[in-house]
Amino acid sequence: VFTSSFSRCLMLSSVVVFLQRVLLLVASDVDALCACKILQALFQCDHVQYTLVPVSGWQELETAFLEHKDQFKYFVFINCGANVDLLEILQPEEDIILFVCDTHRPINVVNIYNETQVKLLVKQDDDLEIPAYDDLFRDEEEDEEDSGNESEGTEPSEKRRRLEEVWREILFEYEQYEYHGTSSAMVMFDLAWIMSKDLNDMLWWAIVGLTDQWVQDRITQMKYVTDIGTLQRHVSRHNHRNEDDENSLSIDCMRIAFEYDLRLALYQHWSLYESLCNTCYTSASLKLWSVQGQKRLQELLADMGLPLKQVKQKFHSMDISLKENLQEMIEESANKFGMKDLRVQTFSIHFGFKNKFLASDVVYATVSLMENIEKDESETDNFIRALDSLSRSNLDKLRQGLELAKKQLRAIQQTVASCICTNLVISQGPFLYCYLMEGTPDVKLFSKPVSLCLLSKYLLKSFVCSTKNKRCKLLPLIMAAPMNVEQATVIMVGIPPETESSDKKNFFGRAFEKAAESTNSRTLHNHFDMSIIELKMEDRSKFLDALTSLLS
Amino acid sequence: MEVNVELRKAKKDEQILKRRNISCFSMEDLSPEKEKNPVSMLQPNSAARLTSRRNPPLNEIIEAGIIPKLVEFLGHNDNPNLQFEAAWALTNIASGTSDQTRAVVEGGAVPAFIALLSSPHMHISEQSVWALGNIAGDGPLYRDSLINLNVIPPLLALVAPTTPIGFLRNITWTLSNLCRNKNPHPPLDAIGQILPVLICLLQHNDKDILSDACWAVSYLTDGSNDRIHVVVETGILPRLVQLMGAPELSVQTPALRAIGNIVTGTDEQTQRAIDAGVLALLPQLLRHPKPTIQKEAAWTLSNIAAGPCPQIQQLITCGLLPSLVEVLDKGDFKAQKEAVWAVANFTTGGTVQQVVVLVQSGILKPLLNLLSSKDSKTILVILDTISNLFLAAEKLGETEKLCVLVEELGGLEKIEALQTHDNNIVYRAALGLLEKHFADCSGHFPDTTQDLFGQVSGRNRIWQGDFKCGIH
Repeated sequence: VFTSSFSRCLMLSSVVVFLQRVLLLVASDVDALCACKILQALFQCDHVQYTLVPVSGWQELETAFLEHKDQFKYFVFINCGANVDLLEILQPEEDIILFVCDTHRPINVVNIYNETQVKLLVKQDDDLEIPAYDDLFRDEEEDEEDSGNESEGTEPSEKRRRLEEVWREILFEYEQYEYHGTSSAMVMFDLAWIMSKDLNDMLWWAIVGLTDQWVQDRITQMKYVTDIGTLQRHVSRHNHRNEDDENSLSIDCMRIAFEYDLRLALYQHWSLYESLCNTCYTSASLKLWSVQGQKRLQELLADMGLPLKQVKQKFHSMDISLKENLQEMIEESANKFGMKDLRVQTFSIHFGFKNKFLASDVVYATVSLMENIEKDESETDNFIRALDSLSRSNLDKLRQGLELAKKQLRAIQQTVASCICTNLVISQGPFLYCYLMEGTPDVKLFSKPVSLCLLSKYLLKSFVCSTKNKRCKLLPLIMAAPMNVEQATVIMVGIPPETESSDKKNFFGRAFEKAAESTNSRTLHNHFDMSIIELKMEDRSKFLDALTSLLS
Repeated sequence: MEVNVELRKAKKDEQILKRRNISCFSMEDLSPEKEKNPVSMLQPNSAARLTSRRNPPLNEIIEAGIIPKLVEFLGHNDNPNLQFEAAWALTNIASGTSDQTRAVVEGGAVPAFIALLSSPHMHISEQSVWALGNIAGDGPLYRDSLINLNVIPPLLALVAPTTPIGFLRNITWTLSNLCRNKNPHPPLDAIGQILPVLICLLQHNDKDILSDACWAVSYLTDGSNDRIHVVVETGILPRLVQLMGAPELSVQTPALRAIGNIVTGTDEQTQRAIDAGVLALLPQLLRHPKPTIQKEAAWTLSNIAAGPCPQIQQLITCGLLPSLVEVLDKGDFKAQKEAVWAVANFTTGGTVQQVVVLVQSGILKPLLNLLSSKDSKTILVILDTISNLFLAAEKLGETEKLCVLVEELGGLEKIEALQTHDNNIVYRAALGLLEKHFADCSGHFPDTTQDLFGQVSGRNRIWQGDFKCGIH
């Protein structure tokens, strides 16, 4: 019965023994890549033939589908497809089955209530908040036309007309806010576990997938902690102490460990100083874009008893004595400076000789590889390289990613500092707005969606710390940057306000749609996140005006 | 001199169909094509916005030839959104006048809708159920053509334990329309198919489902005895009786109607209703605040009282007499009229003992009071009843006692007053009564002639109609 606490967890297991090939359509985010890795491993186990197609948006998705629909009967969508009416867009033949493993919410109601062609892979406890079928596909009859007498004991009408409003209202409510469900990598891992084919490598990818959601601020703190707990149980199961001693010396084996570590980005592969400067949390809390901020940093270091020289060295070159109780020390001092959450629950991976990475390290590295602008390579090449870097055997790629990530984080921090110092973040009334002009250093980096989103989030967090305007602290942010100079387009993202109990729900998807409609702006809503669009530079101001009046 | 006594008619009160405001149909582009541009993919469905609320000129829509196009859209299995919108639009057109429904049927919608009952999309199959309900509800002609096109199996197949309640409600309503209407009644074999599922639906506890399902049963029992038989054989009677006592008026009303219909059948069928416990519920229904319930409860009682003596005895043992007295005394006037029939039937079919018990229950006073009713028919029935009472009294040798009783209760006065009644037959009946039984108690009367009454009691399914005057 399709009532409110509806949930489904359809297993691929029954279908994994494909006799036919599978087409994998994978979105360009780290969680998707991790989910992809797990699925690939499962396919390999069962000798399932598949073809992998990276897709960065709806156009690519549609094209890929059209190109392959005659040769494939089974399609798997990772982190794309759940939030649209997939059947209408793709018009698949009746014998084609679409499996969707996507964190995008809300799930389009047609995908939910169609049983045959669209199979959703959703975690059982995910609260989907789906409108009850009864509410959605029927409505109360308004009896206002009745002259009222004995309306209760009267015979049923011979004919009934169906009214509209209630239905559309409910649908509007349901679709108004976008958010994200459980990590697809975690869902895939669950699948593997149910099939008893889960391996430690897959578990690591699930961890990275979840961490990606945390880094991108897509899930609430509570969800993150809950999911960490879930993964921790698997980690314990896979990484018992006694197995350790046998395997720790083997170059091929790896171990995952639970960590309650500093949330300083890449710090073990960088210098502590750089990490402190380039991690959003510390940079924003200390307001490192200002002179006083810099002073505070010095004070913090002094309080920790860490000489500047040491701190600026590569982390692994730091004195061992200083590294010993580092975490506790830093935490204590940080507390004094108003940073109470400097440590975070996470996991680390150890393999080979002395190879240790935190999950967040891998996330940053993978993002950088995926959105690499340094060489003029195709998106697909970047995607594949990023995907490969997730395999332990491709350590060199991971290291390359780490270097790129450092550049990216530095670029973000510098851009944030510059935006704040030059008051580039302005209030439009119902939202904050910031536009990165052409010619801004590193602006090319921010023509990519994930990087731009990271920048936006860091900027907003920093802005909130910097501004004294109480009202502005509660506003959402729209950020725009040049996307393609020749075509004169900009990329624009909208992110929800920065509040402590934020539910991370984003209404910009709908808002952008409406503003585009009402102004006839030339927009491209190609991204799987509806809150990321492209638009013609010329249309920027009228689009913003429309948004402003829409949201006022 | 002919008397044309109208048999009791069981016509239900016709409900005037309430017309709803016709919904608006925007005459935008009806093309199902959509551009491949991602922007338009995300915009609201470009198919016509066929369902908003403003008033459209529906007939112009029909004339514009939109219906065949909409019917064509129903066949677009590759575009469920289009199917759904078209189904919705056609539903609303078919919810209008008979002409409008006809336009939908003539546009070829029926086979398309029947096919869509098996759509993999639940909202589409539900909308089809709704549309077909509107078409069936137009009248027996379309109802039967739907049945002939085999609508019933796929419709029934939609009823499952997992079917959402809203959907079930729609299905039940459509089924009720398939059971509805006479001239002719629905084909018996169709009813045979529907009944098992209907019985299932009656086990539900959703009031809307129960209401429509009970109405369906009331339609099915509104016919000849063999139609009643088919329903009674399902064993549904106990549940129906139970539903007569439901707190919701919308459930009580049709349940009572169905039971009322059933007891217009054979004695055996009536006994089945009695065995199912109907008598226990009648008292509360006889004093129900809603006049229609009172009336129909009294009507039901009157038909049971037209049965054989054992059934009359059951009325007594189950304590219905006090309730009957109460209705006669204080009930809604329509219920009183039925109650008068109940008494009349009782006195016609009951044994002398039973009649005595009836009189002892205090029936006379309110009965005689009703002689001042404006309704001639009622008066005649009362007079006939009094006549029956005297018959019984004669057998006990107590006619004089009865005379005195009637006089004490002010009945004699009333009967005398009837001699000057407008209605000839009333006058003559009153006269006859006075001459026959009250000659010793009162002044002189003109010579009586033969008994002017025929049998006026009896059981059948019809309501009390207008009394037709015979020509004197």
